[in-house]
Amino acid sequence: MLLDFNKLGVWKWVLTGICTLMALFLMLPILFIVALSFGSSRWLIFPPPGWTLKWYAELFADPRWVGAALTSAKIGVIVMVLSVVLGLMASLALVRGKFPGRAVLRAFFLTPMVLPVVIVAVALYAAFLRLGLNGTLPGFVIAHLIVALPFAIITISGALEAFDPAIEDAAILCGASPWEARLRVTLPGISHGMFSAAIFSFLISWDEVVLAIFMASPSLQTLPVKVWTTLRQDLTPVIAAASTLLVALTVLLMIAASLIRKGKSE
Amino acid sequence: MLSAIAAARRRSGLVLALPAILLLLAFFVVPVAALLTRSVTEPEWGLQNYVTLLGSSTYARTFFNTFFVSGVVTLVTVLIAFPVAWALAIMPRRWASVIFAIILLSMWTNLLARTYAWMVLLQQTGLINRSLMALGVIDEPLQLTNNLVGVTIGMVYIMLPFMILPLMGVIKKIDPAILQAAALCGATKWQALRRVLIPLAAPGIASGALMVFVMSLGYYVTPSLLGGTANMMLAELIAQQVQSLLNWGMGGAAAFLLLVVTLGLYAVQLRFFEPKESR
Repeated sequence: MLLDFNKLGVWKWVLTGICTLMALFLMLPILFIVALSFGSSRWLIFPPPGWTLKWYAELFADPRWVGAALTSAKIGVIVMVLSVVLGLMASLALVRGKFPGRAVLRAFFLTPMVLPVVIVAVALYAAFLRLGLNGTLPGFVIAHLIVALPFAIITISGALEAFDPAIEDAAILCGASPWEARLRVTLPGISHGMFSAAIFSFLISWDEVVLAIFMASPSLQTLPVKVWTTLRQDLTPVIAAASTLLVALTVLLMIAASLIRKGKSE
Repeated sequence: MLSAIAAARRRSGLVLALPAILLLLAFFVVPVAALLTRSVTEPEWGLQNYVTLLGSSTYARTFFNTFFVSGVVTLVTVLIAFPVAWALAIMPRRWASVIFAIILLSMWTNLLARTYAWMVLLQQTGLINRSLMALGVIDEPLQLTNNLVGVTIGMVYIMLPFMILPLMGVIKKIDPAILQAAALCGATKWQALRRVLIPLAAPGIASGALMVFVMSLGYYVTPSLLGGTANMMLAELIAQQVQSLLNWGMGGAAAFLLLVVTLGLYAVQLRFFEPKESR
């Protein structure tokens, strides 16, 4: 009775009401910043007295914002590639390998996801001080790879578990070498998992704040670090413009991810 | 032939995982271990950092803030998430997928963008205060940022998806026949809710709540932007000790305490909730 939506009576409307309110609560801040980014009030008055694109103009005219965005994109792409490659190799070992302690190894790979990021950030900051990696591109890539890799391993090993190894065996029985079978049979079979892992890894790096705050230098910073430092000074609408662009990119990547998922189920 | 295949697999097993293992050892395990070691070696050998941390009232306030805010955030999140997860589990598919998309969008929207939005919405001249004053609910703007109220609102916003999504899965798995049986036996809706549905969903609620609580304990960005320096939480304390005060010993000790609490609660989660979910 309670699990049949149409037999809930009045409760149906109560639940629908709560759901709608929650959806509004979740949407409100996002719609709000999008609106503010086009509003003409520097003091973020809402509803805005007029509409303008000047915050976007200011954003794109400032080489520091553009530079930070380019840095973020560069780091994101490198992290994406490394995370998928390392994640694929680790997943092959976890799912197809036959050695003792695989469950422990899997748990080990997922620990960076469990620990509070601030601990990883402080620890890496200390290590990078010694190695001279703070404020360098490799430093950012390593830090982001540590937090992106668990997600890549979860996604790819999930796809690999769903792929019947008998198909690979069949290819080998038909004369393919084990590596050829892997490359030409298994990889295409789990490509949707690898695409999802790539999108997730990029987004994680692109959005990552805490690790980046610690290792950023004035000469090299990512977009979230630029937002963070600006935010601590004032709440300028330029941040709303930058945030809106971030939201737009997220929506695009989410649509891409769901298309991949659909393509897989067809 | 098949045994040859198996042999090839065995050979290529562990080697493939090596790059990832080495990366994590060098840039995760060793640095974290080094940080924790510094808590007992700096400025000198001994437990003095822990004594200071657990003994002084300034730090006691930080611990109180951390646990208090995490507790309130968890409670509010559960209260909102349960009816939403319940509705999502049984709603017509089309509505559910719209709400589902909204949840995913908010979850994947940049954390700073969301926190910025709340900073603007909650400020003295912000939309929330102006609306409440226009409606005549309040005469003077409420102080909603730079205190724990702002932190709580911002954190609930962030944690909701992490509670709703797993809870929805748990409720979907409950057999509707059990609730029909309750109705046939004469249970009212309230009785069925209190004595059948909530108990059946309890493992999901508890494990989701624990996860939200643990994540809240270590949160850095939202508390430091919405809470201000006067209302510090544990993650900010760690950052401040290391970044501004260069006191690695204290930073390491605070990190160690956070780590112990986090891993301890995850162990509780694995021990008590995971087996039940795989029924």
